[in-house]
Amino acid sequence: MAGRADSDPAAPTTPLLDPEFLQKLETLGLVSRKRIRGEQRGDRRSVSRGRGVEFSDHRAYQLGDDYRYIDWNVVSRLDRLFVKMFSEEEDLDVSFVLDTSRSMAAGSPSKLMLAKRLAAAIGYIGLVNLDRVGVTACSADAGPRLDRLRGRARVFDLLRFLDGLEPAGETDLLLAMRRHFAGVRRRGLLIVLSDLFDPRGYERALLLARYHRVQTFLIHILADEELTPAVAGDLRLVDVETGRAVEVTVDAEALRAYAQARDAYLSGVERFCLRHGIDYLRTSTSVPVEALVLRWLRQGGLVG
Amino acid sequence: MTFAVPAALWGLLAIPCLILLYLLRVRRRDHPVSTILLWQRSAPTLAASRPSRRIERSVLLLLQILATVALVTALARPSIVERGAGGGDVLLVLDLSLSMRARDVAPTRFDRARDEAMEIVAHLRPGQRAGLITAGPRPLVRVTPTEDRDRLVAALRELQPWDASGDVAGAVRLAAAHPLGPGGRIVAWTDGARGPLPALPRVAYRILGSSDDNVGITAFRALRDPRGAEALVRVENFGTRSRRVPLEVTHDGATTYRAVLDLPPGASRTVVFPITAAGRFTARLAVHDILPDDDSATAILDPAPLPSVLVVGPGDPYLENVLRALPVVRAAATRAVDPTTWRSYGVVILDRVDPGPIPPGDYLLIRTVPPNLPVAAAGDVRTPDIASWDRTDPVLQFVDLRGVRILRALQLVPEGGRVLVGGTVPLLWAYEGEGVRALLLPFALQDSDLPMHVAFPLLVANGLGWLGGGALDVRAGETLQIPAGGGTRARVIDPEGHSQLVPATAGMFLLPPFQRAGVYRLTSASGERQIVARIGDPRAGMVRPGPADRAVPSAPGTGDAGPLVTRASLWPWFLLAALGIIMGEWVLATRREGDR
Repeated sequence: MAGRADSDPAAPTTPLLDPEFLQKLETLGLVSRKRIRGEQRGDRRSVSRGRGVEFSDHRAYQLGDDYRYIDWNVVSRLDRLFVKMFSEEEDLDVSFVLDTSRSMAAGSPSKLMLAKRLAAAIGYIGLVNLDRVGVTACSADAGPRLDRLRGRARVFDLLRFLDGLEPAGETDLLLAMRRHFAGVRRRGLLIVLSDLFDPRGYERALLLARYHRVQTFLIHILADEELTPAVAGDLRLVDVETGRAVEVTVDAEALRAYAQARDAYLSGVERFCLRHGIDYLRTSTSVPVEALVLRWLRQGGLVG
Repeated sequence: MTFAVPAALWGLLAIPCLILLYLLRVRRRDHPVSTILLWQRSAPTLAASRPSRRIERSVLLLLQILATVALVTALARPSIVERGAGGGDVLLVLDLSLSMRARDVAPTRFDRARDEAMEIVAHLRPGQRAGLITAGPRPLVRVTPTEDRDRLVAALRELQPWDASGDVAGAVRLAAAHPLGPGGRIVAWTDGARGPLPALPRVAYRILGSSDDNVGITAFRALRDPRGAEALVRVENFGTRSRRVPLEVTHDGATTYRAVLDLPPGASRTVVFPITAAGRFTARLAVHDILPDDDSATAILDPAPLPSVLVVGPGDPYLENVLRALPVVRAAATRAVDPTTWRSYGVVILDRVDPGPIPPGDYLLIRTVPPNLPVAAAGDVRTPDIASWDRTDPVLQFVDLRGVRILRALQLVPEGGRVLVGGTVPLLWAYEGEGVRALLLPFALQDSDLPMHVAFPLLVANGLGWLGGGALDVRAGETLQIPAGGGTRARVIDPEGHSQLVPATAGMFLLPPFQRAGVYRLTSASGERQIVARIGDPRAGMVRPGPADRAVPSAPGTGDAGPLVTRASLWPWFLLAALGIIMGEWVLATRREGDR
């Protein structure tokens, strides 16, 4: 049932990631399909050439170049000064837009919990690999935001931030994206974790990411009861975010119609992402986070 | 299918109210969901929320409507009409009263009843048994339950109504006492004209008749009295409208009396007129009604109404004077007690003699008690009082014993017979049996002042007439015993000329009950006597059909002309269906709640 709109504050706090799972994440890294420019040296090859160890190209010597990079072998053959170019290994800017609207409280575990665990796992991978990791909570209200972190030592800051997120407010993906891009200038990897239940639509928000030319990975999280509602009879269905209601008589035919509407909606999301080069992964709350990260995100090309 | 309480069908108006309540009823539960986006995109789901769609899809509402229909139908007491008498044994009871000859139902009520009974017999299922009981003056089991249809049909064909009232209640009770198997029932055909019918389980009455238009002769007598002879005719109007009825009495084809009687509804008129000739008189009503059988009657004034008489005893002047005055055939007196000479006399008067055992015959015994009669004398009793006497007995007709005083009488101890005059001791005792018909007066005429009263000649005349008089007067349906007088058999000839031999049993001719009114003739070795059979009782002419509330209805559209049908009640099945539907709805509703 999708009826659990709020998390139970009395419930014991579950650690987002257990140590055994963290150990498995140590060997993984985030994969960026684009070569991107980082700010600091990292473990990732950058479009910038510089002081890396991997040879990239030659170019003519210019005034001011470091003499140490002059390739004397070429000079001896061509009698002209060339300097060697190396690919510089830079860090990756990994950003999360995490939906914390009230609808994310549905499911068992809740969709928000699954999103937080995924963000924690992926963020951990990024921090271990010296990437910059930032999180923007997404809701109609001005949600909290975690500035970019770097380095393994900031893992606890990330986990603490994620642990403090609670479902609240309405979904407004576009507003969240605007807030996110207002604070992030660098292009990098954007991971959106949401159920996409935005009454204003998800399209403009995702197109904004494409406009900023960031690699976007959409993880679409749904609860089982949203995929297959277990309701029957005469009901007044109340939207937990907007408070709007619709009166329905749920019987077998109504459930079949719901399934058709659901499939059409999900197919629309898939087509949209495919058309605009957005990586898309749909999952439900019944799938363990370990399986998602170690299997499905690896197959999806996000981690490797 | 028919309804006993069709007004209950107004209860079906509850169905629109049920639907209205269903539409108005707010019973949706709030259910929080992550989003209503997908539900809103599901058009059929929204369509399902439309009232009409909800009605279509609501199995519960449908069950409620069905339950209401079943319940209302059960309250309307539905039933289906079946031909025949259903399953199980069936006992057919036919009323053989005179009123069943009424012709308001063609051809007669009885013929219609018999036809319907035959139709039931024809529709008997294999293995189903039927019996036949007739409601004549005495209920009679004609055919015990049998599967033999031919026997039943033959018995039905032989039936004819009596000129008397039938004991329908007795016949129905007799039938009800018969053990019937499961599904067995009793079907009684009657007009219910005489009193209520017993409401017994498994008894269905078929009430026949539609009119009460009948005027009939309920009494016709021709009597002699000391002043001569006169006739009495009583005519009764059984209908509910006034009638003006011409009455004509004829003797040998000649009219002796004619009158027009005005009869208000339910009234009767009695006319008495003198007659001079002896013989057969016929009274007729010139009236058209539904029962012509009681529109004529016959009476006989015998030319020699009293038999020949032999007085055996010391002699009594009072008795001799009376015998001289009465119309006896001949009278003789003797002191010798010689029974061998008594056969040639109709009545032997034994006056204060000891005759010993008396042979079969008719006797007037005065202060003597033969040893072979069931009565004994226990000495004398002085000045006994007369307390009561049976005025309805023919011996005491017109006899007034008030003021009669008796000095001394035998103290009779009867062991049979009947006491006609009672008081301190029996003072007139009558007996019939063993070929003897006797009338015993336990006191000598000299020991009382009876000869000084008018009652004396009347008592002697009535006594002689009862003992061995001329024409006998009997009601239809009654049995009659007549002393054989030494004969071994007699022949009874009915009014239509059919004869029947009757053997003498223990010195008596035991005549079968006369079915029809009229003049019968009894011929034996001792001569011929006429027997006038009258209509059984005055109420026999009542033809007004009884209430039909317990009647077995005819099939719809067939009216009274239709075959007998039976109703099979359906309301228990409808009630059962309603309960089943309500249970089903409850189970379904409970399961839905559980699903939620």
